[in-house]
Amino acid sequence: MRERLQNLWRGGRYLLTGLPAAMATLLVPPLLTAAALSTGLGGLGLVLFPRAVGGLRWWAEWHRRRAAALLDRPVSPRPLDLGEGTLARWRQALRAPQTRRDLRWTLRNIVTGIPAGLAALACLGMPVYAVLAGPLWWVFPADAPLRLLGVVPVTGWGSAVAMVVVQGGGFAALAYWAVPRLAAFHANACLAALEPSEQDRLSERVGELTESRAGVLDAHGAELRRIERDLHDGTQARLVAIAMRLGVARESLPDDAGALADLLREAHEGAEEAMTELRDVIRTMYPPILADRGLPGALSALTARAGVPASLDLGELGRLPAAAEAAAYFIVAESLTNAAKHSGATEVRVRITRDGGRLLVEVTDDGIGGVDESRGTGVIGIRRRVAALDGIMIVTSPPGGPTSVSVELPCAS
Amino acid sequence: MRVVIAEDNVLLSAGLELLLGTKGIDVAAVVIDHPGLVEAVDRHRPDALIVDVRLPPSFRDEGIRAALEIRRAHPGLPVLVLSQYVEKVYARELLSDGRGGVGYLLKDRVSRVSEFVDGLRRVAAGGTVMDPEVIAQLLAGGGTHAVDALTAREREVLTLMAQGMGNNDIGQRLFITDNAVHKHVGNIFSKLGLPPAEGGHRRVLAVLAYLDST
Repeated sequence: MRERLQNLWRGGRYLLTGLPAAMATLLVPPLLTAAALSTGLGGLGLVLFPRAVGGLRWWAEWHRRRAAALLDRPVSPRPLDLGEGTLARWRQALRAPQTRRDLRWTLRNIVTGIPAGLAALACLGMPVYAVLAGPLWWVFPADAPLRLLGVVPVTGWGSAVAMVVVQGGGFAALAYWAVPRLAAFHANACLAALEPSEQDRLSERVGELTESRAGVLDAHGAELRRIERDLHDGTQARLVAIAMRLGVARESLPDDAGALADLLREAHEGAEEAMTELRDVIRTMYPPILADRGLPGALSALTARAGVPASLDLGELGRLPAAAEAAAYFIVAESLTNAAKHSGATEVRVRITRDGGRLLVEVTDDGIGGVDESRGTGVIGIRRRVAALDGIMIVTSPPGGPTSVSVELPCAS
Repeated sequence: MRVVIAEDNVLLSAGLELLLGTKGIDVAAVVIDHPGLVEAVDRHRPDALIVDVRLPPSFRDEGIRAALEIRRAHPGLPVLVLSQYVEKVYARELLSDGRGGVGYLLKDRVSRVSEFVDGLRRVAAGGTVMDPEVIAQLLAGGGTHAVDALTAREREVLTLMAQGMGNNDIGQRLFITDNAVHKHVGNIFSKLGLPPAEGGHRRVLAVLAYLDST
């Protein structure tokens, strides 16, 4: 009972506040139109229209939060900001699915909000009116008496009591039943209009994931670079220092040291093997030349020591995410190795260019072609790297050649 | 012999000092960066420099650039560059003035004390000492039939030659006679189509330049 009364109170408040708000929403379409048309007035609309769309977004958001509060539903945050700069605001205003939803909501709020508000006003107003007016039936002039339900004239205390009971009680009962339902109906309609559809939700999610993946990969690349540095300055240096001391110790041993000499030799050789292994690990993880000279320098080094004469055509690359740099390096390295091992090529051309947010890597040889990806060639390794970065890779290798590997990596700056 | 060491890692510079000390080589100064190296060269007039590739401030390839710059100011000043990885392009840059007195070795090699010190002495004497890894990269990068025609033994000889060794040393290493070494060297030159060169760093440079140009 207490809960139902609370619902009645909340629903009533919701609908009665919503009524003037819905009436104000009537102004949205003419205001938006005016803002758009004002473009003719010396370009005023260029600034005004996105602001109007932004204003509508705030207005819809206020309703959304109110509706969610009524229904005790959590609200997912919606971006309210249209961004910086007129151009960005326009793009947001016109392209964001939110704008479409806001317009849909505008219509729905007008169509449902005003009738629902009026109904609530009637349901809640009538009992109050009956209770206040009933006992004062005698004040009304005889030719225009107070009427029960607007029909039966109230001319004595009996009919006045009937009015309070029937009209007041009846509408109170109606309000008790209908107002919470009406409020919930309106709130649901509002939320449904404003909540993104499943498709919108998915595409927004994809956008978020793409962004977070790029972030993760970038962090990963930077982390590899840091680990390479740490190993270089730490473990590698320590191993060299140990090997040096072992070397000096071995040199200072007398010739008849016997078992001690063997132990030292084993330790020394072990340290040397560890250095070689660690160097290989570092090279496959994050090539030191990439850290030292950046992608252009590292690629020159790669083509310089390729097993086939290789030419390098470097475009303007600008700053690249560490992950894209490392991927491009390994793609070129593996393509060159493949060309040298399997293709019989006499020349390989490597071309790296950047087109906005895309890094294009092309490796073409003049070999015999016929690359079979399923047969343990390095192509699988390249594919995996490209896939990790959400890139595109096309290998053409007809029998008789030539083979060309072209890769497109996203590298949003 | 007096050397100046440019190495920012104390562990390594201390190790180097210790090691060189046992071989009677005097370390005139240990510096940590390019400006320090320039100053030490002017002050101590060393017989050779030992330079790490990664030096402050950016820890990239300062050592290579410092070596090149100092050799422009002091042509032929022997420089031995040490690194934890080797790249053919660095070797090419170091050799580009064609003067000899250049070494480029993995840091790993330092622990083979006698060989390392021999290499250092060869560099100081104007020789050319290249790490076997560099030669491996050069041979892999050849991609021409001339290089493919080298036998395994000839590649071994070539690799030792690039470490600045004379025929005598090479013969001892491979347990073959001087005469055999001489024959291998002759074969290498004729297979690569190079004119027979006299000993010393010139023949090394000739071979390296040939390999690098293909």
